[in-house]
Amino acid sequence: MTSDDRGRRRWSNIFRRSPGGEVDEELAFHIDERVREFVAAGMSPEEARAAALERLGNFDGVRNECTSLLTAERRADERRRRVYLSWLDVKLGIRMLVKYPGLTLVGGIAIAFAIWVGASGYEILNQLVRPTLPLEEGDRVVGIRLVRGVSGSDAERAFYEFLLERDGLRSVEDIGGFRTLERNLLVDGDRAEPVAVAEITASGFRLTRIAPLLGRVIDSSDEAVGAPPVLVIGHDEWQDRFGGSPDVVGRTVRLGREQATIIGVMPEGFAFPVVHGFWSPLRLGELAHPAASSATTNATGLGLFGRLAPGYSFDEARAEVAAIAGRISAESPLGGAGLAAELLPYPRMINNVTGWGATILLVAVNLFLVMLVVLACGNVALLMFARAVTRENEIAVRSALGASRTRITVQLFVEALLLAGIAAAAGLMASRFALRQTLQMMTADGGPLPFWFEATLSGETLVYAVILIVLAAAIAGILPALKVTGRDVGQRLRRVSGGGGPHQLRGIWTAIIVAQVAVTVAFPAIAFFAYRYVGQITQMEVGFPSHEFLAARLELDPAPPFGGSTETTPIGRREEMDATAEELKRRLSAETGVRGVTFASHLPRTLHERVLIEADGVAPPEGSIGIRVGRASVDLDFLNVMDAPILAGRGFGSADVGAEVVPLIVNRAFVDQVLSGRNPIGMRVRRLSMRHESEPVIERSEWHEIVGLVENLGMLLGGMNPTDGAGFYQPATPGDLPAVRMAVHVGGSPAAFAPRLRAVASAVDPALRLEEVVPLDEAGSHLWLEMQFFSRLLMLASAIALLLSLAAIYSVTAFAVARRTREIGIRAALGANPRRILGAIFLRPLIQVGLGVAVGSVLVGLTGAGFLSGSISAQQIGLTALYGMIMLAVCALACVVPTRRALRVAPTEAMRADV
Amino acid sequence: LFTRDAGLLQGTVELLVLKTLSWGPMHGYGIASWIEQVTDDVLRVEEGSLYPALYRMARKGWIRGEWGITENKRRAKFYHLTAEGRRQFAEQTTGWERLATAVSQAVAATRPPEWAR
Repeated sequence: MTSDDRGRRRWSNIFRRSPGGEVDEELAFHIDERVREFVAAGMSPEEARAAALERLGNFDGVRNECTSLLTAERRADERRRRVYLSWLDVKLGIRMLVKYPGLTLVGGIAIAFAIWVGASGYEILNQLVRPTLPLEEGDRVVGIRLVRGVSGSDAERAFYEFLLERDGLRSVEDIGGFRTLERNLLVDGDRAEPVAVAEITASGFRLTRIAPLLGRVIDSSDEAVGAPPVLVIGHDEWQDRFGGSPDVVGRTVRLGREQATIIGVMPEGFAFPVVHGFWSPLRLGELAHPAASSATTNATGLGLFGRLAPGYSFDEARAEVAAIAGRISAESPLGGAGLAAELLPYPRMINNVTGWGATILLVAVNLFLVMLVVLACGNVALLMFARAVTRENEIAVRSALGASRTRITVQLFVEALLLAGIAAAAGLMASRFALRQTLQMMTADGGPLPFWFEATLSGETLVYAVILIVLAAAIAGILPALKVTGRDVGQRLRRVSGGGGPHQLRGIWTAIIVAQVAVTVAFPAIAFFAYRYVGQITQMEVGFPSHEFLAARLELDPAPPFGGSTETTPIGRREEMDATAEELKRRLSAETGVRGVTFASHLPRTLHERVLIEADGVAPPEGSIGIRVGRASVDLDFLNVMDAPILAGRGFGSADVGAEVVPLIVNRAFVDQVLSGRNPIGMRVRRLSMRHESEPVIERSEWHEIVGLVENLGMLLGGMNPTDGAGFYQPATPGDLPAVRMAVHVGGSPAAFAPRLRAVASAVDPALRLEEVVPLDEAGSHLWLEMQFFSRLLMLASAIALLLSLAAIYSVTAFAVARRTREIGIRAALGANPRRILGAIFLRPLIQVGLGVAVGSVLVGLTGAGFLSGSISAQQIGLTALYGMIMLAVCALACVVPTRRALRVAPTEAMRADV
Repeated sequence: LFTRDAGLLQGTVELLVLKTLSWGPMHGYGIASWIEQVTDDVLRVEEGSLYPALYRMARKGWIRGEWGITENKRRAKFYHLTAEGRRQFAEQTTGWERLATAVSQAVAATRPPEWAR
């Protein structure tokens, strides 16, 4: 059948009569023709009619049989048409989308955004809450968590004992463990770079069932204490650091203080156990020795893994693991007393988002996202409704001609489905991108993500997206159709012919429009506050040329535990750090362009440590036992290198390290905020700390003395107000510092000096690891990167909200104009002032927008107060009001097109207008 | 289904309707008249059965009825073959020809069977 046939049939369907009537007409025609034939043959008309009826036989029987057959056929036909969407519906849908490009564009963007957010959110949550391991039979890989009352090296001995017993376990095989070490990697004597190495048992490679790309993986012989150090590298590391050289196996690299031989390369994508690119053997024998504990070797805690043995269920394995742990606990000669073990799916051991909390998170966030989809599509529905109202005449006539409510609804649904489908395709493409961005954000924030997180949409998410598409189409298509076709035909026809009462758009839509306008007003303002916060940190005046400094954090790789060295004891490490830092400073100072090198616990413009103090003659704030201020332990020449002018008193001298009374230098903010402008020199300060036993105990340190006053140097103490906090500096050597941060004044571009810095550090000591080598201006970037991301997200959300608001306002106005064309025409014809007509049209949207702007402004005010942690100035109120006025004007623009349409209507036309 | 020399097989009326419509669209009266005319009035369609047969064929999708105007300017329902109807026509014609040949052979046989000799 051609589409023309379908079209003809559709129209003939509209005009067709009842089955009984149709059969009657057909039979009447037949009898008339027979009568004509018989009359022509010479019969009288009466005889002819009697003969014709006799020839037909049982007239009523024939009529009834035919009528029931036709009725059944029509029903079947109707069912077929109800189920199958015809190609005509699709064509009509495409035509409507092309005919109303504005609606298509706005609706498309809204739906694309909604599906983008919905699908990304679903995927991220799913990966977080229900991770799947991309390994063969990944769901049978388990983690074993040891639960103990004690921690540290005792816990590791417990791991050791558990691993010793692993062969006794029948339900779990390939049991092993890993921990992560940070080490300096030195390839070919070039500059060293810090890398994360997984110390792992050989069973880890067996468990994954993935063969190496080159060479071999770690085997049990490598696990023996005293075995030669070996290293397996990942595909990316092989490409990046060894240029993908095929003869990489057998090469020797320096890893921390050891020379390790590369024995194998793993295939692309392999990152077991978490997100690793280097693997060295975990020597079980060393675990029991304190010198090899994670605390001493600077490693993360141990994790245990295994694979369910064939034929065993998770519950059986859990019971057996618990039983083994119980036995160790009872019999342990070493440190296993009190040991309990818990078996859990492997990913849950690494990031444990489970239980009720996770379910609630999953449901709540998804519900929120679905609400967002509903809201966005509701706006599209409003647009389609406003358009449908302008086509109501056509729809009423079609209804009268027999097009069922279902037909009209299906047609609008198909149109919305097309729009949603196209928009969703764009949304899903953006979703992949957003997923990558979000995962990267999560990566930048809290370390790399485990290998089972993937920046791709799963099949399940795509199915979910299809459900969202249908939901979107149902809201945007079916709702307006039902509303428009909701009244009986007769009533609508009367209105078509004589004009009538308007459809009502009240209640919920007013609330939605007000909310959207409020969001449109509030979000960009909040984003502005966030941006300003970022700007305040990045452009914070620190009193020295911070853009000429390079920052880094220093770490010393520990010696191998059985090397016989004393370096691993705390005293040894402190002295070694002092000596290494001193030598590094000496060599760097000799470099051309370097103007100074210094060390500190915290660098300017980064978050500082906060401590509680009391000062002579200064009362603590109400309700507090002391005053919270910032603290940095600094190298003696720190203030000199920073070119920080000493405003009063003196700087630090060589006698200050280890002095009986610790000398302090306070910043200007300390004098302003803590001392209310009094002279600080000679004042005494001591630290307070709270210890919680049966009841809180306050401990007081020795008195320290303030010997100097320095300009503010970017001492950030957190909070939303990035200005200098009150604080002090105390003298220290690098070895004293819990984290040694270095600042190098290079004069020129700090980033360009970074490779040279690494080279010099490697030359001083290959085990000297440089972390976070960045220009000083970026050293505190974690403080503002998130904020930047947040504000960009807000800007995007507000752009979409603005679009939706404008669309909704446009719809409401267009609707009002369409409903009142007749009234407008009459009023214009009677000479009414156009301004009054405009006022009547504008009133409703104006009230909605005005309410929205007011609510949004209150939100801005509250947020602004929160950000600025203080009162709101008259200037801020003025700015907010101005911004609100601009928004009001922008929203009013949405009323312009429909209003112009109304004013251009000729009165005579308006009188004829039926809508 | 047919009067006068009746006793024809069930389904023959459908084949005759299909044959009639293979010439082009026609209304019920025209179909009955053509069959009578072409068979020299030997086969007279029992009209009480023709119309239900037409509606059944329409339900099976072999023919479709559409309202049109006759030469006498009367509204009448014209039936035409669908694609499925054309297929049915070809199939039933072949079947009929085989049957007719077989029956003719039997009827025209001159040699008596063994048992009759």
